Amino acid sequence: MGGLLAGFADAFHYYAYFAIMMIGLFAMIAKTNLLKKCIGLGIFQTAIMLFYVSMGAKTGADIPIVNPATGTADPAAYANPLPQVLMLTAIVVSVATLGVALALIQNIHRDSGSIEEDEILRRLRDE
Amino acid sequence: MTAQLPILTVAPLLFGAFAVTAGRFLYRRANYAVAALALALSFAASVLLAVQVLAHGTTTYFVGGWPPPIGISYVADPLSALMLAFVSGAALCVFLASKAEIETSYPLKNSAFFALFLLAAAGHMGIVATGDAFNLYVLIEVAALSGYAILAQGKDRAMLSSLNYLFVGSFGASLYLLGIGYLYLMTGSLNMADLSAIIGRLGGVGSSTALAAAFGIILAGLWVKMALFPFHSWLPAAYSFSAAPAAALVAPLTTKVMAYVLVRLIISLFTPNEAWSVPAVNTLAVGLATAAILYGSFCALGERSLRRMLCFILLSEVGYMVGGAFLGNRAGLTGTIYHIFADLLMTLCLFLAASNVERATGGRFSDMGGLFRRMPATSAALVAGGLSMIGVPPFCGFFSKWYLLSGAISAGSYLFAGALVLSSLVNAVLFFRIFEIGFFRPAPGQDGGGQAGHAAPPPLGRDEMPLARLIPLGVAASSLVAAGLLAGEIVTRVAGAVIPPGLG
Repeated sequence: MGGLLAGFADAFHYYAYFAIMMIGLFAMIAKTNLLKKCIGLGIFQTAIMLFYVSMGAKTGADIPIVNPATGTADPAAYANPLPQVLMLTAIVVSVATLGVALALIQNIHRDSGSIEEDEILRRLRDE
Repeated sequence: MTAQLPILTVAPLLFGAFAVTAGRFLYRRANYAVAALALALSFAASVLLAVQVLAHGTTTYFVGGWPPPIGISYVADPLSALMLAFVSGAALCVFLASKAEIETSYPLKNSAFFALFLLAAAGHMGIVATGDAFNLYVLIEVAALSGYAILAQGKDRAMLSSLNYLFVGSFGASLYLLGIGYLYLMTGSLNMADLSAIIGRLGGVGSSTALAAAFGIILAGLWVKMALFPFHSWLPAAYSFSAAPAAALVAPLTTKVMAYVLVRLIISLFTPNEAWSVPAVNTLAVGLATAAILYGSFCALGERSLRRMLCFILLSEVGYMVGGAFLGNRAGLTGTIYHIFADLLMTLCLFLAASNVERATGGRFSDMGGLFRRMPATSAALVAGGLSMIGVPPFCGFFSKWYLLSGAISAGSYLFAGALVLSSLVNAVLFFRIFEIGFFRPAPGQDGGGQAGHAAPPPLGRDEMPLARLIPLGVAASSLVAAGLLAGEIVTRVAGAVIPPGLG
């Protein structure tokens, strides 16, 4: 039991990112409101960013620059910056995705007067 | 100059996209010429690159001068170089063929459409050229986001379909990103060649759960992106409601480029022996591919308009490529690689022909009577594309089916082989139904003659499109025969060069 709990505590961030990811996926699948689907997509992508950032996390880590006193950098002292840099790019991508999605939703709302998917489909069918 | 060719295939498109966006405020009339020039430069660079790579071997370009594994590299081996030439050629063909359509469909948003078109082409070419796994994700999103935006501009349901595509597409790309995360966690590298070496040292996919998870998650992401059977629902809607030029650009490129990434994953990232080491994955992939082929073929039978029918045929073609890649032998993988090229050309030819037919008749089967008399040149291209889809020998569709079938039989996947044959038969039914309507049904406005006597048939070529649309279509149609005749060359010099030797 103790070993299981310790394993859980070590891998806590993996469980957390997975739970958050599933919440996002649920919203994308189960919600009919297009904006809520967008929010679900945002949560889904954010969970993956958390996964990346958590793999580079380290307690008491320093910023990755050369120490002016010694003239060297100690790799053991700092957190791996690469996952964070990758996620900066991923954030840009997800902002762009959200922008395109919101523009489309705005146009759908203008054309059909609703952002509820089943309502829009019904109106399209009635026409 | 030659060392920079891999990046020069993508760079003109990116700069062109900026130029047409700026040109909107400066001199709008030059925009079409600027965009066409960018595509032509990119095509020229790709052809030069392909010639050079086929003659002298792989060329690698380090972006910013940083060597891998730190920097991003653009790698042109025989497979990616030829794929770059095909992708840029297809984009150029579509762009030249749809000038009038773009100008009438989007009169005020010309510049935006040109910019998105160039970005979509740049994204797809970047995916092919890049040697960095994370860069690949970014380029997938560049290609996809501009794809969503141009597909959204169309009739009634286009916006909603495109939004649906955006949700599914982003989900697929995110899965890819997650899988790369696991790979990075295990290897600490993102460069594909480096990754492959480290995975080999770690002992392959079977050695750890994390590597197996990475492989599985990336595969799932790619299958969503390429619309394999259970993840297909976005494709027919997104491609059939959009404006014709957008569909003609995205349809030949997206699924094929994703299939290319799948092949890259199998050949370059994991080795084929590693990728095929889990029997359950192979069974699942070939099973889904078989289902995709059958589902696509039978749904296509029920369609009553040309473009929707082509969309469902596209679904079954995705099944061909995925199935061949997981048969687990050399012939199957060769078939997949050749079919990526062949299917790109076939889809290009058929979608260009369909957009001509749609412009003249509306694209519903009931309005296509007398098509061969009204649009002889377009119909000829439609016949070429149709025969190639069916798999008639001089056309390229025959040779990919040949390799896939022989791969399926030597792997003992008789179900997959049966689905391939059945789908050829269904394709024959589908296309000969169109030929029958085009040849024998009277044209609308001509009342069929009845018993009283024959009404005069419409004059030959009455609804034919101008030469500006027919020349790119003709090039696409004749490339089907050319690729068929050069099948041996492509198989030995491209597929043979990238598939590791000693593979059974």
